[in-house]
Amino acid sequence: MTSGVVAVWSHRSVLRLLVQRDLTVKYQQSVLGYFWSLIEPLVMGLVYWFIFGVLYGGRAVPPGPSYAMFILSGIFAWMWASTAMSEATGALTGQARLITTMKVPREVFPIGRVLARFAEYLAGLPILALAAVLLDADFTWYLLTIPLAVLLQGALLVGLSLLLSSWNVLLRDVERFVRLAQRVLFYAAPIIYPLALVQDSDLPHWVKVAYEVNPLTGVFQLHHAAWYPSELDWSLTAVSAVGCLAVLLVGWSVFRRLEPAVLKEL
Amino acid sequence: MDADKPIIETRDIGIRFVKSRRRQLKLREMFIHGMRRQPTNESFWPLRHLSFAVQPGEAVGVIGKNGTGKSTLLRLIAGVLIPDEGSITVRGAVAPLLELSAGFSNELTGRENVHLVGSLHGLSASFLKRKFDEIVEFAGDQVQRSIDTPVRHYSSGMKVRLGFSVIAQLHHPILLVDEVMAVGDKEFRAKCYATMERLLAEGRTLVLVSHNEGDLTRFCTRGLFIDGGELQVDGTIREALDAYNGLVRA
Repeated sequence: MTSGVVAVWSHRSVLRLLVQRDLTVKYQQSVLGYFWSLIEPLVMGLVYWFIFGVLYGGRAVPPGPSYAMFILSGIFAWMWASTAMSEATGALTGQARLITTMKVPREVFPIGRVLARFAEYLAGLPILALAAVLLDADFTWYLLTIPLAVLLQGALLVGLSLLLSSWNVLLRDVERFVRLAQRVLFYAAPIIYPLALVQDSDLPHWVKVAYEVNPLTGVFQLHHAAWYPSELDWSLTAVSAVGCLAVLLVGWSVFRRLEPAVLKEL
Repeated sequence: MDADKPIIETRDIGIRFVKSRRRQLKLREMFIHGMRRQPTNESFWPLRHLSFAVQPGEAVGVIGKNGTGKSTLLRLIAGVLIPDEGSITVRGAVAPLLELSAGFSNELTGRENVHLVGSLHGLSASFLKRKFDEIVEFAGDQVQRSIDTPVRHYSSGMKVRLGFSVIAQLHHPILLVDEVMAVGDKEFRAKCYATMERLLAEGRTLVLVSHNEGDLTRFCTRGLFIDGGELQVDGTIREALDAYNGLVRA
């Protein structure tokens, strides 16, 4: 894996180009351009706020700014995760002609997709900050949990993208499976509802354990902790870190092992 | 770079393809046929037991019937396929003229694509800026006129011209050419020939796959004749062509 990391690093200019191309192509033919990457999470946030905040009264929201901030801090990060997963899955199959004519470390293609979606997440941060001002959130040292969350999420997404993109070449069903898994994952992590609701529920103990072992749980708690300090839980973070790292290692080694077969199929 | 070492060296390489099975294996099939039908792993070796070395500056023509693994060989040298057996060492960067319009994004304009593809192949931004007019001019006035329209609207010939113009600028010591000269009109072909001769005169190493005897004898000094996935003749281009013609006539 270290040799793979070195190879990718030495081709970082290619990585940058792929990300650039990805973003230009994506926003070229739309009038609103990059604003779409903001409109989507904002509208989704509004919907969830209406359902869970207004209709269900926003139960068990941790002390801090209003529930809307909780949803937004989760949903912006989720947009990165979900778009990265779905687009990375087709990273190899969709760029087959480029991959079969250019000798670059093949890892750059899925990783490039993750980075492009990360760029959109970064572009959304000013909006998140603006929302924080409007919703009376405090800007404290707890904001430093965001870079940590980004780091863990990045590792997790790179691992997943390597895994999914290489599997998808050999088994096209992966694409459909990912779409389904995304919907499940969205509700299986504390993104739009507080973790306390799960912890205080009547679910059997093993379900709660499984829920907290999901690396996304720790990642999203970190995203929320920036605005809701009570959500910071170091043991949960540690569990998530181990999980993210494990996915990264497994993803990378699977990618390496499948690489010869993948190249033949492209 | 070591001058005395071969620039391309293959040792007993082989690559195996699986016939139709793994390809587009769908979950549905796995459910319907169970895991039992899976081991119909009919595999075949498009190339096997191939060993040869190419010295810097040599021009090698690869000859063989359709489906004998010539393009596969180029892909192995280009490093976009990994052999299942043996090892392949390439000492130097490779300029692949395999599929010329491969890196183009249809939504981007010709201008953007030149910069993108050029940099993907390792050309610096400043170099591309300097050479931009030359590249576009080489591609012909048809391309020149529509350089700021999306490549989607280009004809396939225009794409190939632009692709060739970019790759002709590469400084890589190894050129891999896969019948690209078969495309394009007469005028463009003449340009291609001139460029190839210039590049060869600069001392680049060439591996050319072609069915065109004229092209082969024109550029190549050495010939590899591949049949049945194995190297049959490794000699002068004439010897290889004779062996090939003998086989075709027989």
